[in-house]
Amino acid sequence: MALLEVKNLKTGFKTENDVMMAVDDVSFQVEKGKTLGIVGESGCGKSVTSLSIMRLIPNPPGKIYEGEILFNGESLLALSEKKMRSVRGNHISMIFQEPMTSLNPVFTVGDQISEAIKLHMKGLTKSQIHEKTIEMLQLVGIPEPEARINEYPHQLSGGMRQRIMIAMALSCGPELLIADEPTTALDVTIQAQILELINRLQKELGMAVILITHDLGVVAETCDNVAVMYAGKIIEYGSVRDIFHRPKHHYTKGLLNSVPHFDSGKRLTRLETIPGIVPNLSDIPPGCRFQDRCTAVQNDCKDTEPELHEILPGHTVACFHPFQGQR
Amino acid sequence: MSETLLKIENLHKSFPIKGGLLSKEIASVKAVSGVSFDIRKGETLGLVGESGCGKSTLGRCIIRLLDSTSGKIIYRDQDITQSKGEDLRALRRQMQIIFQDPYASLNPRMTIGGIIAEPMKIHNLYATKSDRRDKVQELLETVGLRKDVIHRYPHEFSGGQRQRVGIARALAVDPEFIVCDEPVSALDVSIQAQVVNLLMDLQQKLGLTYLFIAHDLKVVEHISTRVAVMYLGRIVEMAEAEEMYRGPKHPYTKALMSAIPIPNPDGKKDRTILSGDVPSPIHPPSGCYFHPRCPIAIDPCKIDTPQLKEHGKDHLASCLRL
Repeated sequence: MALLEVKNLKTGFKTENDVMMAVDDVSFQVEKGKTLGIVGESGCGKSVTSLSIMRLIPNPPGKIYEGEILFNGESLLALSEKKMRSVRGNHISMIFQEPMTSLNPVFTVGDQISEAIKLHMKGLTKSQIHEKTIEMLQLVGIPEPEARINEYPHQLSGGMRQRIMIAMALSCGPELLIADEPTTALDVTIQAQILELINRLQKELGMAVILITHDLGVVAETCDNVAVMYAGKIIEYGSVRDIFHRPKHHYTKGLLNSVPHFDSGKRLTRLETIPGIVPNLSDIPPGCRFQDRCTAVQNDCKDTEPELHEILPGHTVACFHPFQGQR
Repeated sequence: MSETLLKIENLHKSFPIKGGLLSKEIASVKAVSGVSFDIRKGETLGLVGESGCGKSTLGRCIIRLLDSTSGKIIYRDQDITQSKGEDLRALRRQMQIIFQDPYASLNPRMTIGGIIAEPMKIHNLYATKSDRRDKVQELLETVGLRKDVIHRYPHEFSGGQRQRVGIARALAVDPEFIVCDEPVSALDVSIQAQVVNLLMDLQQKLGLTYLFIAHDLKVVEHISTRVAVMYLGRIVEMAEAEEMYRGPKHPYTKALMSAIPIPNPDGKKDRTILSGDVPSPIHPPSGCYFHPRCPIAIDPCKIDTPQLKEHGKDHLASCLRL
C-alpha cells in the first residue's frame, strides 16, 4: 500500500461569481521512503496540492471540492480538526519556501523547535525537551547548538533559518515531509547544502518526501518520480529518468529545453522557448489546456481534454499527440 | 580587440552604519572593495555572485545611480566618477538599467505608454506628442508587445510582459550601455528563455553593450561574452565565458559551478559543498575573503590578500594557491 494516495483531488477558490479550480482532478501516490517531485510554473497548483494534503487551505475562500486523500489507508479529509492536528507534525510535516516569514521573529529558535516537540510528544520533562531540541539542531548541522538555541531568527542567515525549519519539521519523526520550494530563496552554494541535508536525513530516517519546485536540476538530482503540473492538472507522470530522457508531453519537453545547459555548445544562440503565457485559471479554454502554446497542436486538441493515460509502463501523459523523438 | 567602452579603476563603495545617541558612524558595509575591469563595446559582461556580494551595488555605481566612495569610472575617455548636473543628465541618455522586479519597477498609476514616454519627456527627445507616441509604439513592437497596450496599466500584465515594458523603457532614449540587474530571476522558467532571447536579439540589432548581473551561472554563461565572478565585494575571477566554464581556476568559482544542480538524472555529480555562509561585509575576514570557506586554504591565505593575476590568456584569478 502506498504511504500517501491522492485521488481525484479538486481544490478551488471562490471568486465573486465563480469558483476557480486551482487543482483540478489530480491523482498520485507516494511510496514509503521515496521522493516525488512536483514541478511546474507559478500558478500551476503545486502549492495548493500540498496545502490540501495538510488540510491548510484557508476556508473560505478555498475549499476541497472533491477527491480523497489517503494516508496509510486512512482518509485525511474525514478526520476531525483535532485528529488532523495530531497528524500534522507527527506523521506529515511541511517546510516552506520563505524561512524568514515562517519563523516567529519574537521567539528564540529553541523555543520554536521545543514548542513543536512539547505539543506532539506529550509527557516529556523540560530537560528532555531541551535535550531533544539540541539533538535536532545537531542533526541538521547547526554549529554550536547550545548557543544557537537562544538566538532569534533575525540573527541567523537564510540557510541557517531553513535548517531550523527542517529541524522543526523533523522533530517528531514524520513519515512524510512536504518541502515546498525549500531552496528557492537560497543561494546555490547554500542550496547544495540544504539538498544534501534533506537527502541524508531521508536515508537515515526512511522518510518519504514530496518536493515541490520549479527547478528541474533539483528534481533530477533528488527525486525518484516526477509529476509535471500545468494549469491545475498533472499532465505527465513518470520516473525521473523517463521524464528527463524521454519526455512525452510537449510542455515537459519545452520546459526542459528552455533552460540553458553548461557545455551544450549552444552558447549565445537563441534558447528554445514556450511561446505565450500560462492561461488564466478562471478562463480555461475547452480541450487541452496547453493548446495555445503547443507546437504540435491539432484539431482534436481543441475539442476534448486529453486524460492521463499510460504510454509506457509507469509513464503516463495527458496528450493526444505525444512527443516521440529525442529531446 | 574591440574598443573599451567603460573602464572601472579600483572602485570602492561602502555604506555607513549609524548608531548611538548622535548617529555617529559606527561601522560600514563594504559592498564593493577595489574592483577594476573594462567593458568592451558590443560585448555582454556577465557578473555573477551570491546575494550580498555587491554585484548590484557595483552595477548601480557604474551608471552613477550610487556615488562610489573612491575609485574611477571612465566612459569613452571621460572621467564620469564626479559628473554632475547637465553632464550627468547627458550620461543618463547613454546608460540605462533594467531592474530585477518587474512588479516594483513600474509605476502602477501610469499607463504603459506613459511609462515608456517618460524618459523621452525628461530628455526632450521628440518635438511633438505624436512623434513620441509613434516611437513608443515602435518600441512596444521591438520588445514583442502589441501596439494597442499603450493605454493599459501594469497590473494587467504578467511578469514577463512587464519585464518587456521595463526593457522598452530602457531603450526609449537609445542608450548604448545597459545594466541588466537580474532581469530574469523573478520570472518563470519558460518566460526566462523568452526574455533572454529578446535581450540577445536587441543587442544584435541595436549594437548594445550589456553588464548582465545575475546569480544564475547557467543563464550568465549562455548570454555573456566574458564573465566576472564576485565574492564579498571583490572580483575573484574573470575570463571569456567559454574558458571560464571549461576551466574555472578559483576554488570559489569551482564550488559555485559544481553546486548547480544538473537537469540530468544520470549526470556527473562530483560536488564540492562549501561549508558555512558568506561572511558579513561589515567585518570581512582577513587576507583572502574566501579563506574561511575554502577547501584548499593554507595559512598564508589568512594574511595575504591575493591580487588578480593572469593565468592563461585573458583569464584573471585571485588565489594564492594558483
